[in-house]
Amino acid sequence: MKGETMKMKCMSSLLLILILASPIFALDGTVLLKQVDRNLNPESYEMYRKLINVEPDGSKKEFTLFSLKKGSDKIAALFIAPASENGRSTLRLGDNMWLYIPNVGKPVRITSLQSVVGGVFNNADILNLDYAVEYNVSGVEDAGNEYLLHLKAKTRSVAYDQLRMWVDKDKKLPTKIDCLTEANMLIKTIYFKEHKDFGGGIVRPAVIETDSPLYKGYKSIMIYAKIKKRSFKDEVFTLTFMPNIDSLR
Amino acid sequence: MRKVQCRNVPTLQSLIRLAVLVIALLPCCPPTVRGEETYTFDQAEIEKKPWHLGGYAEIRPVINVLDKDAALYQLQYYKDDPGSTITEYNGRFQLDGSYEKGMGRVYIKTSTDYSYSSESGGNGQTVIYEGYATLKPSDSWKLEAGKKNLKWGKGYAWNPVNFLDRIKDPYDPELSLEGYVMATVDYIRSFEGPVRTLAITPVLFPVNDHINDDVGEDSHLNVAVKLYLLFYDTDLDLIYAGGGTRTPRYGMDFSRNLSTNFEVHGELASIQRFRKQEMDTDGTLGSETHDTLSGLLGVRHLTTFDLTTILEYYHNGTGYSANEMTNYFNFIHSGYQSYQSTGSDRQLVFAQNLTKGSYSRPSPMEDYLYLKLSQKEPLDILYFTPSVTVMINLNDQSHSITPELLYTGITNMELRLRAAFIRGARDTEYGEKQNDYRFEIRAGYFF
Repeated sequence: MKGETMKMKCMSSLLLILILASPIFALDGTVLLKQVDRNLNPESYEMYRKLINVEPDGSKKEFTLFSLKKGSDKIAALFIAPASENGRSTLRLGDNMWLYIPNVGKPVRITSLQSVVGGVFNNADILNLDYAVEYNVSGVEDAGNEYLLHLKAKTRSVAYDQLRMWVDKDKKLPTKIDCLTEANMLIKTIYFKEHKDFGGGIVRPAVIETDSPLYKGYKSIMIYAKIKKRSFKDEVFTLTFMPNIDSLR
Repeated sequence: MRKVQCRNVPTLQSLIRLAVLVIALLPCCPPTVRGEETYTFDQAEIEKKPWHLGGYAEIRPVINVLDKDAALYQLQYYKDDPGSTITEYNGRFQLDGSYEKGMGRVYIKTSTDYSYSSESGGNGQTVIYEGYATLKPSDSWKLEAGKKNLKWGKGYAWNPVNFLDRIKDPYDPELSLEGYVMATVDYIRSFEGPVRTLAITPVLFPVNDHINDDVGEDSHLNVAVKLYLLFYDTDLDLIYAGGGTRTPRYGMDFSRNLSTNFEVHGELASIQRFRKQEMDTDGTLGSETHDTLSGLLGVRHLTTFDLTTILEYYHNGTGYSANEMTNYFNFIHSGYQSYQSTGSDRQLVFAQNLTKGSYSRPSPMEDYLYLKLSQKEPLDILYFTPSVTVMINLNDQSHSITPELLYTGITNMELRLRAAFIRGARDTEYGEKQNDYRFEIRAGYFF
């Protein structure tokens, strides 16, 4: 009888240990990454963003964009300020990216590593797809109040080969992302700040800040406004439609 | 080796020194007022108004260092002696406005240009560049009618398939141009599968004594159509234009990213029964009609250190051979000698009329190579882009080299310092241009 009780106690203790340990061992990194994506943005949406490039002397240059996204691989952005950029638009369809400049009058292909605005943000940061679309989760670590996700690009056409993403355990939202090359060189760090309720169940960071060891002293800030779910026809995400994106505002 | 006499050397040197100083000091000037790290996003900044009014103002002083032995110098200045340099002061004021209501929108863009030079004095003109009405009943359909540009083609410096627009300047390919009057329809469809996008654009292009009168001679309603496909991640256009004032034209172009930093593009254009006006060795003007084929192949590459390379080869099937151009230059030289010995400018006036036609168009010969290297933000200087453009005429090996400094760090302002070194032997395209060198500063402001 005593032996039975001991056996039961051992079993219970083992079960308790397994139950306590399960959140880490059973955590599916891919599921978490998809949760992060959905918490950051609805699958299809429109939003406004302001990009601010800050130089080491404190001087700034600002750009305002209207963006729209549909599904996993369609995203477009229209510059509405300053006047010198007004009417420019960018389109991304999977790995294809184009820039339309009103004076040039036709879309030209651009690459994800270029930057249409200068500064630390590049085109991939401005026209970013869901992380789960471009990256596989290669590892998950418990980092106190956060999970640390190790992400590896699915193809060579992705702008950054590796990401280290720190995710708030409660909110399931990123707090910081390191962007690295294949050789583990840090290209930039993205900080997510100022959680805000945008309505429609969208609660997410309203400010994203970026700095880079490649641009010492420079930083870029992206401020979000008016994020809301919206469905679009596929035809909106085409080259021929690029001069007309403003008609959707 | 040609000698260049610079009578206005102090002016030239002063301008160059001033320009270099301005560009060098620009990155040291903060573009906006420094402030605390508080970032605001006012809702008023994103509120859409039904109307829009904007524009662009530019000043562009230019110094031309002339080549007095060149054919085009003799043709233009045979009556005068402008000296070794001509200074130009150019100004441009463009206004654009639109009004949108429901599915309709009207848009207009005007350009007022004023130029003053030490040689020809001042002159100016205002032109409506574009003015059209748009009707957008759905995201798949768009109808437009009025004066507009089509901008067909994938090439950066040249677009042989752009059959219905004015020819752009390969030295300033992003400059806005005056459009033509036409009516267009855009129909777009998206799909899943190898063809992701299909768009078809039919065009009606009228020509008569009052509308588009510089396109062909007779009154006709021309038609054109462009079919666009995004096919296996490749942009593909198939183009047809014809209908009366011009002989039939067929074109295709493509563009594709081979990797994240390497793009390839090309164009092919066929013109049926093209009538080419040309001069023979004794100065007799004739014409011959034949089918032509023009093509362009280009690449765009970006390095990890942000050096962008654009390289394009262009074959102009409607262009002149080296011998045909030599006949034209010889005709001008003999006309100039005749004017000096007899005082009769009959031959030169005839040559001037020819120059207004196909001999004066940009890139009038058969084969060209274009190379542009631009380095984004070197030495961590934000918004500063130095570049150099080389244009080589492969038929006669004459060329131009154009270094440029561009600074866009001041909000809504664009500052550009550019020089052009135009080189070539006698009887070559660049060797017979009126300039040996050209220096310009352009300050533009968007509002």
